[in-house]
Amino acid sequence: MVKGYSDPAMEEKFQDRYFHTTDSNPEFLKDVEKLSRSIPHMCFQCGTCTGSCPSAPRSSYRIRKFVRRAVLGLEKEALTDPDLWLCTTCYSCTDRCPRDIAPTDVIMAMRNLAFKWDIVPRNFLKTIQLIYKTGHGVPNNDVNRAARLKLGLEAEPETTHKYPEYLPGIRKIMDHYHMKEIADRILSEGEH
Amino acid sequence: MHQYAFFLGCIAPNRYPGCEAAAIKTSEKLGIELLPLKGASCCPAPGAFGAVDLNVWYAMAARNIVLAEQMNKDIALICNGCYKSIYEVNERLKHDDELRDGVNEVLAEIDMEYKGSIDVYHLAEIYADKKVCGPDKIRESVVRPLDGTKVAVHYGCHLLKPIKERRFTDAENPMWMEELVAALGAEPVQYRNKMECCGAGGGVRGFDLAHSLDITNEKLTNINEAGADAITEVCPFCQLQFDRGQIEIGEKFGIEWHIPVLHYNELLGLAQGMSPQELALDLHAIDCKPFLDKIL
Ligand code: SF4
Ligand code: SF4
Repeated sequence: MVKGYSDPAMEEKFQDRYFHTTDSNPEFLKDVEKLSRSIPHMCFQCGTCTGSCPSAPRSSYRIRKFVRRAVLGLEKEALTDPDLWLCTTCYSCTDRCPRDIAPTDVIMAMRNLAFKWDIVPRNFLKTIQLIYKTGHGVPNNDVNRAARLKLGLEAEPETTHKYPEYLPGIRKIMDHYHMKEIADRILSEGEH
Repeated sequence: MHQYAFFLGCIAPNRYPGCEAAAIKTSEKLGIELLPLKGASCCPAPGAFGAVDLNVWYAMAARNIVLAEQMNKDIALICNGCYKSIYEVNERLKHDDELRDGVNEVLAEIDMEYKGSIDVYHLAEIYADKKVCGPDKIRESVVRPLDGTKVAVHYGCHLLKPIKERRFTDAENPMWMEELVAALGAEPVQYRNKMECCGAGGGVRGFDLAHSLDITNEKLTNINEAGADAITEVCPFCQLQFDRGQIEIGEKFGIEWHIPVLHYNELLGLAQGMSPQELALDLHAIDCKPFLDKIL
């Protein structure tokens, strides 16, 4: 006899809740473990992470669920869920996990993997473009320059702002990983 | 004089230059000299950069560290986001040969090499360290005690967490910043869920502003309940979230807050006799006057 409920209506109701191994990519867990330098396969689903999470009470984001998805290899489900981007990286879960997993780094690894599928919010890409252009994610502006002068500071700080000759080196590093290229392409393709 | 290469980051020099000016001047009075770290860039932002490609985060942070190695000076910085990038990457590269080799391959393209010859400190951590400074030395530098004021401390996440990867020992209820605040004559107040995140990190401020402000609003509620006259922190990004965030919370949720937000270096500057003009407090979104009226 096949395992199941005798009541056909109930059987139908629960049918699609069963876990389908066809949805699973076992490589996903390996990728996540390598990038995160952590051990999500040790998770016993206690929920301490979600209980510590400032994002959990105000959204459907559940860090425990993402760790479970890593273990089950549910790559698509994890990487396409917009909640992936609601982690503030506060590391409370990482400090408190009784299995010594770093759930925060699991999320960061999944974000890296999502980026490879072009899944990334626009604000991240704009920061990349700004750093490529100026060396700063939050660059100087005229109001600030005036304020700096009043303080007795130079208008431009002692960074790439004052020494733009350092910018080619920074761009070379970013080009090594094709960051600017990818950011430009995704942004020009429209909303993501 | 203890000398450090001063890593500025982005938000302090480009949005709250008072923090930069204050850090240099207040430290001088404590026997700490902050030297310019020429050509440094964004740390780069751990949320924005680490999220898309951790490898480029390692390499870009390493470049900033190498600039200080070339000066042969340890790094001091005043932002928790920078601390996460610069401190953590430095520690990981020191202890992971494979990672270091990978980074050095990329750095070789720009004739640089990471050696692992320096250490990275948050300036607040240096202030708390009795071997270099300590609360007593800070107390001695005060000419205008902040008597009669109540100040809530926000440590910020990336200063202390993950605790296993930090020099600190307690991220659940630390008290060392409260000691630094008490050294200025102010009364540090305890409030509910003190260690909660400001809400800005991980790219969430840019991704979903309302969500991030809802976290901030919870913190402000708890801080207000404790009767604080001001919030102090050691991270310009937390500062931006609490300071501009109060205005944004007003616009988005119709909830009004007027709690001045001061970086510890600004607070220290006031206690050492610097004027609000010398700290560019007029650039703050929330008027600091109610707090200043209590001490000036
Ligand atoms: S706290 Fe750790 S063990 Fe518990 S559910 Fe979260 S990741 Fe799993
Ligand atoms: S690090 Fe992310 S997942 Fe973990 S508690 Fe903080 S916000 Fe939640």
